[in-house]
Amino acid sequence: MSEFYEGMAEILEVDPSVISSAFELHGGEAAWDSLAIVSTIALVDDCFGVMLEGKALTNCLTVADIESLISQAKKG
Amino acid sequence: MKNATARLKDIAVYLPDAVLGNDELASLYPEWPADKILEKTGISERHIAAEGQTAGDMAYEAARNLFAQGHVTAQDVDFIILCTQAPDYVLPTTACLLQHRLGISRQAGALDINLGCSGFVYGLSLAKGLIETGSARCVLLLTADTYSKYIHPMDKSVRTLFGDAAAATAVVASDDGKEYVGPFVFGTDGAGGKNLIVEAGMYRQPKNAHTAIEKEDDSGNVRSSENLFMNGAEVMAFSLKEVPKAIEQLLEKAKIAKEDVDYFVLHQANKFMLEALRKKLKIEKDKLPILVENCGNTVSSTIPVALHKLQTQGQLKKGHQLMLVGFGVGYSWAACMLVF
Repeated sequence: MSEFYEGMAEILEVDPSVISSAFELHGGEAAWDSLAIVSTIALVDDCFGVMLEGKALTNCLTVADIESLISQAKKG
Repeated sequence: MKNATARLKDIAVYLPDAVLGNDELASLYPEWPADKILEKTGISERHIAAEGQTAGDMAYEAARNLFAQGHVTAQDVDFIILCTQAPDYVLPTTACLLQHRLGISRQAGALDINLGCSGFVYGLSLAKGLIETGSARCVLLLTADTYSKYIHPMDKSVRTLFGDAAAATAVVASDDGKEYVGPFVFGTDGAGGKNLIVEAGMYRQPKNAHTAIEKEDDSGNVRSSENLFMNGAEVMAFSLKEVPKAIEQLLEKAKIAKEDVDYFVLHQANKFMLEALRKKLKIEKDKLPILVENCGNTVSSTIPVALHKLQTQGQLKKGHQLMLVGFGVGYSWAACMLVF
């Protein structure tokens, strides 16, 4: 389990075992609200040293979408 | 004769009586239970100014508390600086009214500064400048704000975080030749102004029927353009980017090692932001206190409120080497070293 997935589980208030790229942020058990987005910005900065934009994170549907933003930011 | 140096002599705090607790907030925002609010924000209650109670009133109470502590009298004060973003009037200057209300000498200078979370550190820099140029001997630095009056009751993004408070700090001339306050680093980025703003109510956008229209955002928060708006994601990104840089710059400027700083007293925004900063800065838990539980984010008063709390808890002692860092609305930030 990566530090990023562990952090995402904590932010989304779900069991770490359910987090994968396919995990749906707007699914019933997750809490993808403004606080979660703010916390994700800090988590991604900590794990990958890149800063994501709140608006782009708001539009993410799955953890894979966040990972894609991280890849883009690393290249950028 | 050598010039005097500025020294922080005493701090007093005033918190208004009314308390807004997490249970009350959770009853309004069912998706955020009381324990979640506490766990994420670190805040269990905020004090809220009464209707008709202004930042000027709270600054007055804080100053009275300071004088009651007995280290400084109203007669000693020869300059008043009030930092607020909620002045009593458009004009006159609230600090002038406080001179009269507090019975401070008519020979004293008085001015307001309009800054938020960075305001205390900026105020200290002005006090140092006044004292070390021989222009003043005892500066009464007041910080007071009533953000609660700007916040829409159904905007959980800010109502869970902000509380009202005032602090009074005496900065006095010391003739022992030692440096107590400084050096400073400053920063400003007005491009971030839109991310923490009360848009309507002054001259760029006077209040009208249109500005009073309430809208609900994607997260279910309600506000009009007359209310406080905070883009939390952008403010977090700004803080994570600029605060560590400012701290590094100041350590370099002051030629002090991180390990030699007894406490990093950062603007007490909320627990999740301070924990993220602490992690990024790799500072031990004990050295970067989080003291928001009983008052929330009190804007320009968070640093003096935290200093006062550390002092009353017996953690802060004379001679401790501190770094103070204020950051937020503007964007505006500043950091300074302070020998307590």
